[in-house]
Amino acid sequence: MTKEQVKGSSAEEEEQQAAQSKKALKKQQKEAEKAAKKAEKQAKLTADQQTTEEDDFAQDRYGVCVMLQSQEKLDRSLVRVCELSPDKAGQTVWVRARIHTSRAKGKQCFLVLRQQQFNVQALVAVGERASKQMVKFAANITKESIVDVEAVVQKVEQKIESCSQQDVELHIQRLFVVSQAEPRLPLQLDDAVRPEVEGEEEGRATVNQDTRLDNRVIDLRTTTSQAIFRLQSGVCQLFRDTLTKKGFVEIQTPKIISAASEGGANVFTVSYFKTSAYLAQSPQLYKQMCICADFDKVFCVGPVFRAEDSNTHRHLTEFVGLDIEMAFNYHYHEVIDSITDTMVQIFKGLRDNFQSEIQTVCKQYPSEPFKFLEPTLRLEFTEAVTLLRSAGVEMGDEEDLSTPNEKLLGRLVKEKYDTDFYVLDKYPLAVRPFYTMPDPHNPKYSNSYDMFMRGEEILSGAQRVHDAQLLTERALHHGIDLEKIKSYIDSFRYGAPPHAGGGIGLERVTMLYLGLHNVRQTSMFPRDPKRLTP
Amino acid sequence: MPMYQVKPTSQGDIKIDLPTCMYKLPNIHAQPGSSCAEYPLQNGEVDPALKALEARQDEIMRKLYELKAAIDGLAKTVTTPDADMDVTTLSQTTTVPSFTGTADLDALLGKDLGALRDIVINANPASPPLSLLVLHGLLCQSYRVLSTVHVHSSVSSVPPQLLSCLGPRHTDSYSRQRFQLGFTLIWKDVPKVQMKFSTQSMCPIEGEANVARFLFRLLGSEPKDPIVATQLDSWVDTAFFQLAEGGSKERAAVLRSLNSTLGRSIWLLGHEPSLADIACACCILQDSKALSTPANVQRWLQACRNLEHFHCITPLL
Repeated sequence: MTKEQVKGSSAEEEEQQAAQSKKALKKQQKEAEKAAKKAEKQAKLTADQQTTEEDDFAQDRYGVCVMLQSQEKLDRSLVRVCELSPDKAGQTVWVRARIHTSRAKGKQCFLVLRQQQFNVQALVAVGERASKQMVKFAANITKESIVDVEAVVQKVEQKIESCSQQDVELHIQRLFVVSQAEPRLPLQLDDAVRPEVEGEEEGRATVNQDTRLDNRVIDLRTTTSQAIFRLQSGVCQLFRDTLTKKGFVEIQTPKIISAASEGGANVFTVSYFKTSAYLAQSPQLYKQMCICADFDKVFCVGPVFRAEDSNTHRHLTEFVGLDIEMAFNYHYHEVIDSITDTMVQIFKGLRDNFQSEIQTVCKQYPSEPFKFLEPTLRLEFTEAVTLLRSAGVEMGDEEDLSTPNEKLLGRLVKEKYDTDFYVLDKYPLAVRPFYTMPDPHNPKYSNSYDMFMRGEEILSGAQRVHDAQLLTERALHHGIDLEKIKSYIDSFRYGAPPHAGGGIGLERVTMLYLGLHNVRQTSMFPRDPKRLTP
Repeated sequence: MPMYQVKPTSQGDIKIDLPTCMYKLPNIHAQPGSSCAEYPLQNGEVDPALKALEARQDEIMRKLYELKAAIDGLAKTVTTPDADMDVTTLSQTTTVPSFTGTADLDALLGKDLGALRDIVINANPASPPLSLLVLHGLLCQSYRVLSTVHVHSSVSSVPPQLLSCLGPRHTDSYSRQRFQLGFTLIWKDVPKVQMKFSTQSMCPIEGEANVARFLFRLLGSEPKDPIVATQLDSWVDTAFFQLAEGGSKERAAVLRSLNSTLGRSIWLLGHEPSLADIACACCILQDSKALSTPANVQRWLQACRNLEHFHCITPLL
C-alpha cells in the first residue's frame, strides 16, 4: 500500500461518515496517517527481508499460515490464556490468541496476547531461538490478528499491571499468524473501553455509540462487552434454574399472531400470505391459556416486539422477554413472593458468581453495587403517593407515576430502605389494562403491581380476571371491541384457576443491575426505530 | 398511753323517745369512759409491758405490709409468667390516659398522611439489638404493628432465629394500610444500629441506646418525674457504654452497683420494670460470660426473663 492510496480511501470514508463528529474525523485521519506510515515501513521491511532472507536461521519458526481448511488434525493441545499461572512456569505451551498490542524495542518485541477478557504479555527477543527477522515480523503483525504461539511460561519479578495474567509472561519460540486483521481498524479497542471522564482530556479518544454499534463485532471484543454479555447469559441461566427448581414449566409461544394482544397500537404488521398478521407484543395470552390448560406454573424466554417510536435510553423495538404466569391458591401475593424470590435469587447468583464481570464493567462505567433486600420490600401505591407528595410532587390519587416520579420515588425508597429493588403494589384500576383484577375492598384500586430496579420499572404484572363475565364487563368499560378478543375471553369459559403473572425485559434488567445508562449496551444487536443493522 | 382529756361533746342524759318494740340497753355514752382510757388516769403511768407489746405489733404489721408489697411485685412476674406485665402496668406510674391510638402517634411521629408509618432499623447480625426486640414486643401490645425482617445484600447469610425474631407474620400482613405502625428490621452490614423514620424531616438515629429511647417514647410510658427520668437515662447509658462496650473491670463495677440497687428494690427504678431494666438486662444477657453475676442481679435477670416481652430474645441467647 502507498500513502496516496490510504489517503484516498480515508477520504472516501470521510464522505460516508459525514454525520460523525469532527473529533472522530480528526482522530480517524490521524490513525489513517499512522497506518500509512506503518504500511510504508512494512513495505521497506519486506524489501529488507527479501535481501536478508537467506541468512535467517529461524525462518521456519514464524510466518503466515495458509488458510486453515482443516488440512490436518494436529494433536496439539492449546492452553487458555486464563490458565497461564506461575505454576506453569518453565513449561513450553501453545497458545492461540489475538494480538492486542505490539511494541518493538530494538532487538525485542513485546506483544500483549488477548483471549476474551484475559490477556498476557509475550516477548520475542533476538537469541538462539529467534532471529532479527522474526522480531521484525512479530512487530509488524496487525492488531487483532489471530496467532498461534509456542512459548515458555516465565515468572516475572514485577507484576504486569496492564494484563490480567500479572505474574507470568510468555517467551515466544514460534509464531504463526492464523488469521490476519486488516491494518486499519474502524475503532480501537483501547478507546472503546476508556472510561468516560468529565471534561475530556486532550487526545483521550472515546468511541461514540453509533460507531460501536456499526462495528459491533469489534466492540463486542472489548473486556466490558465480554463481561456484560457473560453476565446477561448468567441472568437467563439463573432465571431458568430458579424457576425450574420452583416447579415451573418452560413453554414456547408463537410470535406471529392474528390479533393484537394488548390495546392494538404499537404492533408490527407483517404480511402473511394473502392477509396480514402481527408480531407478538407479549406472550401473555398464551401464558394464560397454558394456565387454563392446567400447567399451573409456566415461564417463557423469547423475543417480544413493540412498534413504539420512542428513542429513549430504555426502549427497544425488539427485546428478550422473561415472562412468568402462575396459578395461586388464595392470594395473588403468593405470585409476587414467587417472582420477587426469583429476582432475589438472580441478584444473589450474580453477586456471588459474576463478581469479576461486575468489576470489569465498573472500571469503564462506574456505578454503585446493586443492593437488595430479602424478602423483597413491598410498598403500596398510596404509600408511594404520600411519599412523593411529602417530597413536593403534586399528583392525584389515581394518577399513574410519570417516569421522573418513578425515579424520584426510587431515590426516596433507597434513602430509607437502602434497596435498589422493590415492589409497588395496588395500582389504581384506571391506569391498568382491562384484564386486571379489581381490588375486592376498594373499587378504585386493583390487584396489580410493578417492580422497580434503580428507580426504573422492569416488570408490570397483575392478578388477571379469570371470569369470562367480569372480563367482558371490564372490556366493555374500556371500550374494547369484544369481537377482537373473543378467543381470549372464551378461554376462561371452561373453568380457569385464579392466576397472576408478569414479564421482565432481559436487556433492561442487565442494564439496571450494572447501572449502565443505555439499553443498547446490553443488547447484542439492538433494534430501535433508527437501527435495523447489523 | 397518757392522753389529754376533753369534755364529752354531748350530754349523756339526752331524752330520746325510744320505740318500745325493741329491748332496751343502757346508754353506752352515759358511761364515764372505757376502762382502757381510764387506766392511765388511775395510776398516771403506762405499763411498760403493754408498751412493748404495742411496739411489737406495729413492727410486725409494718413487716407484713412490706412483705405483701414485695410478694405483689413478684407475683406479677415469677409466679404467673403469663401475667400482663405489660404496658398497662408500666404506665401505672405515669398515668397516660389515652395510651393506645393514633392521637398519641400523631403527636410523636407527625400527622398521619395515609401511608404506613414505617420505622426502619438497620442492625448487624453479628450483634442483634436485643433491647429493641424487647421494645418491639411492647409496641406490639399497644399498637397494630406490621413487623417485617429483611436481609440486606451486604450480608450473605443470617441464622434462621434472626429471621423469625419478630415473631410470626401477622395474618393481615398482606394489607399494609391496616396497621398503625411498621417495624422493619433489616439485617445489614452496619457498624452501629441505625434507625430511619422520615428521611426528609429527620436524620437517622444511630446507636442502640438512642433507638431504644425513641421506641420507649412511643410507648408513652417514660417517667414524668425529672429525677426518675434522669436515673433512667443514666442506667441506659451505663448499660450500653459500660456493660456492652466496657472492659471487665467496668462491667464488674456496674454489676456491683446493680446488685446493691436491686437489694433495695425489685426493679431498677422501683416497683415496676422500665427501659432501665430492659437495657441493663439485655446488655448482660448479650454477653455469654455473664455467669458470675451477684445474687440480686441473678434474681432480677430471672425476673426479667420471665416477663412476656423478653421471651422473643430467648432463642437468640
